[in-house]
Amino acid sequence: MELTEQEIGTCVTLAPVGKFNLVSAPPVKARIDALVAGGKVKIVVDLGGVDFIDSSGLGALIGGLKAARQHGGDVRIACAGEQVRAVLKLTNLDRILSPYPTVEEALHDW
Amino acid sequence: MTGDGAADKVYVLEGFAVPEQLDSVHALLAQAAADHPHLDPMDVMLFETAVIEIANNVVEHGRPEGEVRWKFTVRVHPGQIEAELDDTGQSFTFDDRRAMPDEDAEGGRGLALAEAVLDQIEFERMPDANHWRMVRRLGQHRQD
Repeated sequence: MELTEQEIGTCVTLAPVGKFNLVSAPPVKARIDALVAGGKVKIVVDLGGVDFIDSSGLGALIGGLKAARQHGGDVRIACAGEQVRAVLKLTNLDRILSPYPTVEEALHDW
Repeated sequence: MTGDGAADKVYVLEGFAVPEQLDSVHALLAQAAADHPHLDPMDVMLFETAVIEIANNVVEHGRPEGEVRWKFTVRVHPGQIEAELDDTGQSFTFDDRRAMPDEDAEGGRGLALAEAVLDQIEFERMPDANHWRMVRRLGQHRQD
C-alpha cells in the first residue's frame, strides 16, 4: 500500500491508498508509532484514497489514536468514504474517531 | 455476462488462505457485483466487508499457517447474496453472537462486524474442513 506523508506545521498527515486491511494495517500503525515516538503527536489520517477498511485497519487507527493520546496528541481521520463510515458506525468507533469531511477541517484548531 | 445468464452464475475462487490472496476475494465479489448491476452498492459493500472478515479469520488463525486451502463460492439470488467458504484449517469453535468490543480495543471486531451485516452466518465442522455460509438479504438499506 502506498502511504504518503506530509508535515503541516506541528501536524502530520498520512494518506494511505487502496485497501486498509490485514496486509497494510501493520505498516501504517508502525508509522504512526514512529511519528509519536519522534514527538509528532497530532496526526491526521486522510482516508480519501482508501476504498475498503477491515477490522485490522480499524485496529491500527485505534492503536495509533491511543499512542498519540498518551503523549498529549490525537489521531483524526478525514475524507472517509462510504464503506469506511459504515464500518465505523457498525463498530461504534465513530464515537471516538469522528470523521472530518476534509483534511483542512481536521487540522482547523491544531 | 449480463441479463438472465448471470442469474445462475456461480463465482468460485480456490487457493491458499494467505494474505496475498485477499485481493482475489475482493476481485471475486467485484465480478459478481459487475454481473448484477441491479445490486445496491451498499449491500455489496457490507457483504464484502463480512466475507473479508471471515477470510481474515481463516488467514490469521488457520493452521498449519500458509498451508490451509480455501474455496469460496458466491451466488447472487433474487433476494439475497450468499457466499460459502470451505477451508482445510484445524477445527475451530465458532462462538456466534459476539459482542462488539469496547471502543479502545485494538482487535476482536472481525466476527462481530461480520455478524452485524449478515442476516445469516453458519459454521459447521466437516470431517476435514470448516464450512462457512454467509447470507445478506438484499435491498434493506439498513445502517444496522
